[in-house]
Amino acid sequence: MAAPDFYFAVNAVFRHLHDRYGHGVLIDYWQRLGREYYRSRWQRWQRGGVEAIASDWRTYFEQEPKAVVIVSIDGDSVELDIRICPAIKHLRNCDHEVVPYFCEHCDHICSAMAEMAGFSFERTGGMGSCRQRFVRSGKKGEES
Amino acid sequence: MLGCHDFCGYYDWTFGYVRSRFGDEALMGLWAEAIGRDSQRHYEEAGRREGLAGLAKAWNQTGIDEHCEWSLTLDEKNNFLRWDMRQCPSKGFLLSNDCNADEDYCDHCMGWIIPLLARIGMEVTGHEHNHVGQCWAEISVRGKGREFPDLKIDIRNEPGWTCGYLHRWRNNHRLPLLDDFCASSDPCVLLGAWFSRTDHLLVMGRGAGTAKLKAHDVPADAALVTGAAYAMRDTFVSDPLGVLLSDRVDDLAKVAERFHATPTERRPLLMYTYLPSSQPIDFVSAGLPRPVPILPQLIRQGYYAHKPGQCCPTTDVFLAMLAISLQKRVHVLEIEVCQQADGKVFADDAQSTRDVTRPVRHSRQCDLSHLREAIAKASAPVHLAEHLQQLIEEP
Repeated sequence: MAAPDFYFAVNAVFRHLHDRYGHGVLIDYWQRLGREYYRSRWQRWQRGGVEAIASDWRTYFEQEPKAVVIVSIDGDSVELDIRICPAIKHLRNCDHEVVPYFCEHCDHICSAMAEMAGFSFERTGGMGSCRQRFVRSGKKGEES
Repeated sequence: MLGCHDFCGYYDWTFGYVRSRFGDEALMGLWAEAIGRDSQRHYEEAGRREGLAGLAKAWNQTGIDEHCEWSLTLDEKNNFLRWDMRQCPSKGFLLSNDCNADEDYCDHCMGWIIPLLARIGMEVTGHEHNHVGQCWAEISVRGKGREFPDLKIDIRNEPGWTCGYLHRWRNNHRLPLLDDFCASSDPCVLLGAWFSRTDHLLVMGRGAGTAKLKAHDVPADAALVTGAAYAMRDTFVSDPLGVLLSDRVDDLAKVAERFHATPTERRPLLMYTYLPSSQPIDFVSAGLPRPVPILPQLIRQGYYAHKPGQCCPTTDVFLAMLAISLQKRVHVLEIEVCQQADGKVFADDAQSTRDVTRPVRHSRQCDLSHLREAIAKASAPVHLAEHLQQLIEEP
């Protein structure tokens, strides 16, 4: 079930947590979501390395309506060339004001997942299109 | 990124995060404000613009987008909009992916819908959901006469409705879980009230006979037993205060027989885990009241966190965890700990000629670690029978 209106709720939850509890809580929420909710995904990354990360994101974006994303492996890193971010596109098309810190969720969730799997994460660009890289760091995070 | 195809899973996780960190009121605020006022504002606009017909259009579009298996009934003349949900795709996602991070995912619908409708002069006149993906709701304009038409479609007459446990609403208010016992709709409050008559609990699974009871010299007036022990009557001949049913359907007829042979005032509280990975059990057709869920209590008190696809405790261990979570002195006289590291095959004394295949979701390590953690967290003394004490002290 990939109903794009769910992006409304994603954006609204970010705004609510930010406005009611502050940016620090929002970051904590994203980091824990990455470590806890997505445990099974980063465990697969941990076991399968760059191939697993690339395969995971290809499958993930294939299920997101109107996403245009190219996933590639370069040695010890995986790059996601997100040409059309489906969330930003749908929110804008439907006149929902995108919270200015929307793209930070990728930074914190992906960093948390990457760290647990022994990778680092970096993003350039945002608000509709960006590049994301997962680079092997050799240092695995510890489960809390 | 956070996508929309796996949204329901992290939506449930988000509820658990907010509830555990900031409390119930905060979660209700999230539903009312973030979802009802922000995310779902198109419902408010549609209802304001076109009344019940506008809401019906908005819900119909959602039904198409989310592939709901449901029926919408609109009768504007009689001030009546109703849905009957046969398979909720949202709850269905959680059940098929073994998700149960929050105490009660289904509550979020009324959590955003009731405040939104109140702003446009409407109310939920009736709603029930059974926590296994089926529900119905009726909506009317407040203060305007209404007639309830004869329903051609009513989920309550369809297969599966008798599974799960019900939460019910009338005129925007949630009704008690057990009408004739406790005014609260909260299963944790209900459990607290039911067991408030005692300051101690005796936990007994199969194999804990009366002789053992006497040998341990523990008070036997407040027993918690498993469904198997209750059904077989070989553990505890007196009336227990509570029975935790397992997913062994073959015990149900015997449980019902004993339950109904007991005078009403001495009947135990029936309880069940309702784990998302378990096949829904039709307790009602087996002649039993719908058992009270125990996961909300264990999650709220921090005794259990459900991890999708991973091992979970056996019924006996859940029973001990429940007793400890109720913050009373607990004697665990006998419980059946899974003996298999990989949970393959297990035989008990009642079925010596027939091996029982345990689902792989149970393991000795999982049972023992949950037991150890519950005891470490206990706020009142927990006494284990000697053989159980030795078991949990194993390296």
